[in-house]
Amino acid sequence: MVTQHGIKLAVYLVSSFYGDHNSKVCECLIRRGTLTLAQIIRFTELSRENVRHCLLALIHQNCVQAFSIQQEGAFGEAPKIVTHYMALFDNIIHHMRFPKFIVIVKEELGEECEKVFEALLQHGRLSFSQIVDRHKQTVSKEENFNVDNIQESFTKLVNGRFVERCPAPEPFLAPPSEEETPAKKRGAKSSKVREVSETIEQRALAAAAPMESIRFLVETHNWSDVSDKNNAEKLTAVTIGKKRKQDFLDTDGGLLDKDEKKEVLWRVNFEEFIRRLRHKACIANVMSRLNNECGIVLSAILELTRSSETKVNTGSTASVSINAVYDEVIKKQGGLGMNLERIRACLVELGCEMPTIRIDEEYSIDLKSIIELAQNEEVESIVLKRYGREAYRMFRFLSKSGRLHETDKIADTTFVEKKDAIKILYKLWKDDYLQMEKITVNGARQTQFLLWKVNRQSLWEHVLDEMYHAALNLRLRIADELEQEKEILQMPKDKVTQVEELRKRYERLKKVRIIYESSLMNLDDALMLFHDF
Amino acid sequence: MSRSISTSALKRKRPESNSLNDSLVDADRAVFNVIKSKEDMGIWTRDIKWETSLPENVVNKSLKSLLNKKLIKEVVNIKNKGRKHYMAAEFEPSKEVTGGAWYVEGNLDKELINVLKGLCLKIINSQKVVTVDGVYDFLKKHKVTTFDCTKQQIAEILNSMVLDNEIIEVKSTGLGEYHSFPIGTICYRIASGAGLGKGLKIGAMASIPCGMCPRISQCTPDGIISPSTCMYYKKWLDIEF
Ligand code: SF4
Repeated sequence: MVTQHGIKLAVYLVSSFYGDHNSKVCECLIRRGTLTLAQIIRFTELSRENVRHCLLALIHQNCVQAFSIQQEGAFGEAPKIVTHYMALFDNIIHHMRFPKFIVIVKEELGEECEKVFEALLQHGRLSFSQIVDRHKQTVSKEENFNVDNIQESFTKLVNGRFVERCPAPEPFLAPPSEEETPAKKRGAKSSKVREVSETIEQRALAAAAPMESIRFLVETHNWSDVSDKNNAEKLTAVTIGKKRKQDFLDTDGGLLDKDEKKEVLWRVNFEEFIRRLRHKACIANVMSRLNNECGIVLSAILELTRSSETKVNTGSTASVSINAVYDEVIKKQGGLGMNLERIRACLVELGCEMPTIRIDEEYSIDLKSIIELAQNEEVESIVLKRYGREAYRMFRFLSKSGRLHETDKIADTTFVEKKDAIKILYKLWKDDYLQMEKITVNGARQTQFLLWKVNRQSLWEHVLDEMYHAALNLRLRIADELEQEKEILQMPKDKVTQVEELRKRYERLKKVRIIYESSLMNLDDALMLFHDF
Repeated sequence: MSRSISTSALKRKRPESNSLNDSLVDADRAVFNVIKSKEDMGIWTRDIKWETSLPENVVNKSLKSLLNKKLIKEVVNIKNKGRKHYMAAEFEPSKEVTGGAWYVEGNLDKELINVLKGLCLKIINSQKVVTVDGVYDFLKKHKVTTFDCTKQQIAEILNSMVLDNEIIEVKSTGLGEYHSFPIGTICYRIASGAGLGKGLKIGAMASIPCGMCPRISQCTPDGIISPSTCMYYKKWLDIEF
């Protein structure tokens, strides 16, 4: 679900992180879909060299994925292999969340790991030797530089699934197989089948992804060689780099040369962070809606089942035995005093059914419904703030029942004066929060009834778009504030502290920034709730 | 549909009202019969005109004389408070006309609703978990209210409190605090957010100006309404400091 303001936000993010050319290329790809190099050049009206540079940078920052397919040659020419480029919308938006990712790593693995991790975030993709290189540059003379430490941190990051091997730079997609092609022409019956089958973009991503078995595999040999060989390697790297530049400017093929593919490149595994943030959101929701003990039990279960999740928005957790849950619960802060009975009571509150016979007692938690409740809360609170208490009650009534209701029925159930009810309903409808249907009954006189309903799917999309819009506005406000106070920010610090007026302005700016940025991070939680979870 | 019911009703009522009818002039009788045929639903002046095919001034005259004789009365119809509705004197206005138990003279009785809500909340606070029957019995036994209220009314009050997110509806699990309710019984209890002084949880979007903004759909970076000129943000920052 990529909405209009989602696109605007993504383009703005790319432009503020990587400049205008990159954002132009990105916008072109997001709006028009997958394109070839020639098409991008035509649509963006940038020079060939510029576009190639942008694509290289964007691929390096995981914002674009390339893949090649065989295309039929025009006018009897032989078919040729053409490289296509697709924008990775989600990955672009993830750039806004880097501070959150850093906090997670710091909390779980400590500062050493955080440093390595930050380098990866900043550079997008790095080989291990490059990581060592970057690290060397940042270490001051007093500190001891030690490759083993970096190796240890790096391995921890990979084992924690925070870092993964990069996908293939440019997978080749075989032409659609025999059964697939004719499906296009076969009428309505098979069109359903086609809808289910993957898009070319999904196929490209699947083909590029490293095999699960090696995705988090660190080869531990010759670590110590890295530092010795380093200087020599650096030299060759430069020459290779130069040569590559020449190459890709001349040919019409992919951007990455064969040499680079040999060394394993690593990048941040966004998926794992989104998964952890999703779990965090579930636990927080349960704690506020039910109680702390339920939160402890849920977090214990998630801890046990996290590694077996195959996709981020998995519906329910894997099943775990009550004993395993117990063992995990008592390790948690506040969980030490809990016994099996209390854990069972929590499980019931979390929506589990108790078996009648307690043999091999296993439980799984429905995460999807927790997410849905959290989404409801978010939308309802917008309705409350924007349209008031009575609107809130009416909206909740319609949202809970999930079907059409007539104006009077709504007014009666929610204790709202009928004439007010119709006004409020109309306002909600005008702002796309409700769906309306008119029904005319032909009796002695014509009577018209108005029926109202919450259409979850379209409303959720609408709310998500408003949230992207709000996030963009917040970022623009931050940029504005910084621009206005540019003068102070450029002054030497001691000068600012000396003059009372300047100091005040500086303090104000600091506060405003904190308010804006924390609001943005909270809003981003809500964005993920609707888009990623 | 109403026609078939009303004719049978007319037949049934005729013997007792015959003498009255005799004393009325033709027009009055026609108007009276139409009004009476609507029983506890009443009828709008225009519709009387339409159904009797009498000119307006004649209908008005008849209405006046019937009112004087106390054979009919004026009633407020909740759906159209501005339109005059009439009903034969012996009927009590139906729920559709009055709006039901929560309406007095065509207005929602907010005071009554609030009093009942307050009472229910107190009962739930003290008993932790309740059912509709439980609240009803409690009110009856302790004679808390000076008026009678039905189980249906209690159920409606509790439901509106659920919609307000003050209490939540749960199915009894038969465990812990639900032990005295059979499994599956619909119960009500306090929502954890409310009642503890925390109030409703306000989401991330609803806590920033854009989330509450009525003009978000017109707001663009370089439009007349834009983030850089936004007054809502200015006010918001003033409050935050
Ligand atoms: S920036 Fe201001 S005008 Fe624009 S949507 Fe936000 S609150 Fe509304």
